[in-house]
Amino acid sequence: MPRRQTTSSVLSPNLTPLLDMVLQLITFFMMLVHFGSRLEGANRTIRLPLAPASLPGSELALDRMSVGIDAQGRLLDADQRPLDENAAALWWDVEAKARRRGLETLKHTAAGDDSLPTLVILRADRDASYGAVRRALAQAQDRGFAHFSLVVLRSRQP
Amino acid sequence: MTRPTAPDPLKVDQTRARARRGRLQNEQEVMFPVTPMLDMAFQLLAFFILTFKAPTAETHLDLDLPATPAALPAAAKGQARAKPPRAADSDLENDLLVRAQADDLGELKTLRLGEAVLPDLETLGKRLTQYVGLLENKPLRVRLVADDTLRYESAAQIIAVCQTAGVTTIRLNQPGAVPDFRGPSLPGLNVP
Repeated sequence: MPRRQTTSSVLSPNLTPLLDMVLQLITFFMMLVHFGSRLEGANRTIRLPLAPASLPGSELALDRMSVGIDAQGRLLDADQRPLDENAAALWWDVEAKARRRGLETLKHTAAGDDSLPTLVILRADRDASYGAVRRALAQAQDRGFAHFSLVVLRSRQP
Repeated sequence: MTRPTAPDPLKVDQTRARARRGRLQNEQEVMFPVTPMLDMAFQLLAFFILTFKAPTAETHLDLDLPATPAALPAAAKGQARAKPPRAADSDLENDLLVRAQADDLGELKTLRLGEAVLPDLETLGKRLTQYVGLLENKPLRVRLVADDTLRYESAAQIIAVCQTAGVTTIRLNQPGAVPDFRGPSLPGLNVP
């Protein structure tokens, strides 16, 4: 009588190739991860200007604030609300005072001058006028902001 | 003293066979539990897929704009010691002037470096690079005077070209703010 071959009732598939694949995918995504690569304050209504000659951006300062300027030249605050010129001036005032209060609380001593260390990240629409951008920068400058960063595109977005 | 006897070949074979069986049995018992590791790996994979952001072409042009004298804060009343003054926008005479004129649609019509009309931004970049080379370690500052009606995209392209050429400071002005051009006197470079 031939010996009956016993078969295991529990199926155990070979998971090792699957694990290999998953670990390779994890490695791929880890290599491509860009935490915070898109600068904050992104707004679909703002179409950034294309400046192919621009260099890759350096590290941004920790103390920063983001503002926008739409195609009509209106300033957009952090909540993306459009402000007219007077409201914009008032808004810069409030922001500058809040930051000065914060610096006093932290007993921050400016290095030689009285300008604010805050970096203003400006996302202006490509169709806005240079005059609108310049006026916004001048308003901020008048309140003590001195460091600005204009967000541009190095190539067309897909 | 007794002489050691040679081992019985039959017994040796039996012992070896037993050892082999035992080893095989042990190999079957040691199973690496892959499932929890796979669970973890799937969770990590899900995390990375969900937080994945496509690389963006966004970059930023840094501008350090010194304070205008009118913007310097006055000393508060009752304050015993005045705050240190802010760095004022001084020494304007050594700035290189870039003028941009806009047409009716806001597009860039004329670009000048000093009094020289430049055909395009590429030429501006080359000229500025020459200036930077001649100045060696000294900083090159540019004052951009553009029409207010100029599209911001054109202005941003000019700023980007200046920055790429190695200009350290760019100041933004409106037409009329700088009546006469007086660029830095650089030996060996003749701007037509």
